[in-house]
Amino acid sequence: MTECGAPKRTLSSSGLRVLLMGNPNVGKSAMFSRLTGAHVIVSNYPGTTVSFTEGTLDLDGKPSRVIDVPGTYTLEPLSRAEEVAVGMLKAGDIVVNVVDATNLERNLNLTLQLLKRRAPMVVALNMWDEALEHGITIDVKALQDRLGVPVVTTCAISGEGMMDLRQSLQHARPGTLDYEEAHRWDTIGEIVDQVQQVEHRHPTVGQRLSHATVHPVIGPLFALVVLAASFELVRLIGEGIIRYLADPFFNRLWLPLVQALSAALGSGGLVHDLLIGQLVNGSVDFRQSFGALSTGLYIPLAQVLPYVFAFYLVLGLLEDSGYLPRLGVLVDNVMHRVGLHGLSVVPMLLGLGCTVPGVLALRLLETRKERFIAATLLAICVPCMAQLAMISGLLGAYGLVGFVPVFGTLFLLWVVLGTLLKRFVAGTTPEMLLDIPPYRIPYWGSTLRKLWVRMVGFLLEGEVFVLVGVLAVNLLYSVGAIEAVGRAAGPLMTKLLGLPPEAVGALLVGLLRKDVAVGMLAPLHLGLKQLIVASVVLAAYFPCAAAFVMLLRELGPKDMLKASAIMLIVAFSVGGLLNLLMTGLGL
Amino acid sequence: MVTNLERLAAGKTAVVVGFDGGHGLLGKADAMGLRVGKKLRKLSSQLMAGPVTVIMDGRQLAMGRGIARKILVKAAD
Repeated sequence: MTECGAPKRTLSSSGLRVLLMGNPNVGKSAMFSRLTGAHVIVSNYPGTTVSFTEGTLDLDGKPSRVIDVPGTYTLEPLSRAEEVAVGMLKAGDIVVNVVDATNLERNLNLTLQLLKRRAPMVVALNMWDEALEHGITIDVKALQDRLGVPVVTTCAISGEGMMDLRQSLQHARPGTLDYEEAHRWDTIGEIVDQVQQVEHRHPTVGQRLSHATVHPVIGPLFALVVLAASFELVRLIGEGIIRYLADPFFNRLWLPLVQALSAALGSGGLVHDLLIGQLVNGSVDFRQSFGALSTGLYIPLAQVLPYVFAFYLVLGLLEDSGYLPRLGVLVDNVMHRVGLHGLSVVPMLLGLGCTVPGVLALRLLETRKERFIAATLLAICVPCMAQLAMISGLLGAYGLVGFVPVFGTLFLLWVVLGTLLKRFVAGTTPEMLLDIPPYRIPYWGSTLRKLWVRMVGFLLEGEVFVLVGVLAVNLLYSVGAIEAVGRAAGPLMTKLLGLPPEAVGALLVGLLRKDVAVGMLAPLHLGLKQLIVASVVLAAYFPCAAAFVMLLRELGPKDMLKASAIMLIVAFSVGGLLNLLMTGLGL
Repeated sequence: MVTNLERLAAGKTAVVVGFDGGHGLLGKADAMGLRVGKKLRKLSSQLMAGPVTVIMDGRQLAMGRGIARKILVKAAD
């Protein structure tokens, strides 16, 4: 046994670090929301893409930091999240071990490992109400005596027991329980026998639903209904925000201001072009003018943000209710055909909102092969909400005739490219071994907080790139650079893709930001065939700068170089094929 | 009769009697509380060689077929 050091720490020193540690799905995030104030920071653990959330807690007038450590079943580093958890443990002062009271035995496995590290600790028996509902009673006093650390009962969702938990932090101490590592489970079994009593109850509605949703036949049907309803809901909420909030704001309040500024600047000149852009029929057009204050604000804030908000709200509810792991089980067999397993559905779904959180979620995957395949498919075949919103805007007039070729091509590409990558990328795809948490009604506090964190991330990372992109395009235009590149790349654009040379500007901007790039196609007045080709190529050829940086961090330079080569080759060959095919069909 | 979790019929209860796998599988299974002597009930197998779902201690666990094949069980009835 190694002594990992248990220096006596008291609450008298300021800036204590309180770590929330526990198995996945034990309500740590809800507890985190309850313990901390409004101000939270999401950071990446140094050298990884594993992120953690940090907030502040006032302990008797002394500010402390609370860290929501990624959920882990064990302190033996089996995955990146576990490596991070072990690393953080060394830097923490107090551990709050969040235990799911409905599943004491498995949760005590981590508790015992934490006790062995001799960290000052408190155990929170969370989901206490649910345990009672299931006929489970736990003798808290006896458990406390066995472990030698304070044990409190909590229900983070309703907030019950949170005062007790705060007070117990004063008494956090290293445990007294000692055991032989080889007999860990025996010790756990003994403790559970001693402190827990289970009275048999009939399955609850939630449990019945839980079984039905992974039923081999009912499950997939249910999944189709859930997914269809989710996307309809995203569309409804997104459109609603645009129609009743974003558009009125921009048209009634912002437009007069921008018009006045335009007049004051003399309706032309370099500064006018940078800030306001080109006037369309003598006035500012938010979709086509292309200035930093016109299109540069309108596209991300009024066209994309409402859908990003709606998407992450709905996805957050799906995540927090516990449906996503079930979806992972249902799609596992399909995912295996492309060298992934079921849980990779999570980064793919997140990527539909924004590629950046999609890349962050790649940490769920264990091997290099899986991460490479998932990252490449994510970058090429999964359009983000910024692209989806803009493509819908461009092709909306054509209806299904416009959408089906674009999204059908991307989906086919996902299948074909995935099958090839599975074959040719070296390495293994491990099978999943997954705990499926019971269905739970999401706690609004943590769902909204997650939504907020994702929105802030999107705005901070996204809006900067939009403004830089718009300014860069205008500057490049004014010095004639885009025309020059357009002339140089013109033959490629016209011959291979059937696009006008000016479309090269959109491809360049697409390196910075996808929505702005798709927006640049609007003033070109392209035909249906050209719009389809341009949309597919823009989606597939490269992710935006923010996503590129994240991918580079996740994959490393060598794999990123390979992935980039695949992206370029795939995008231009598929674009060329589509052009050829549609021309052949007489479009 | 000893069989494995892949072959065990849906709805049947069984006890884990051994693992036919390496250190990696044992570590993962152990972390989840899946070990020799545990009683579980097989809930379903997904179509097209999809994962196997079991109930253990009132909780659902899903695992790929390859893993299910390596978990040796003895049917309880």
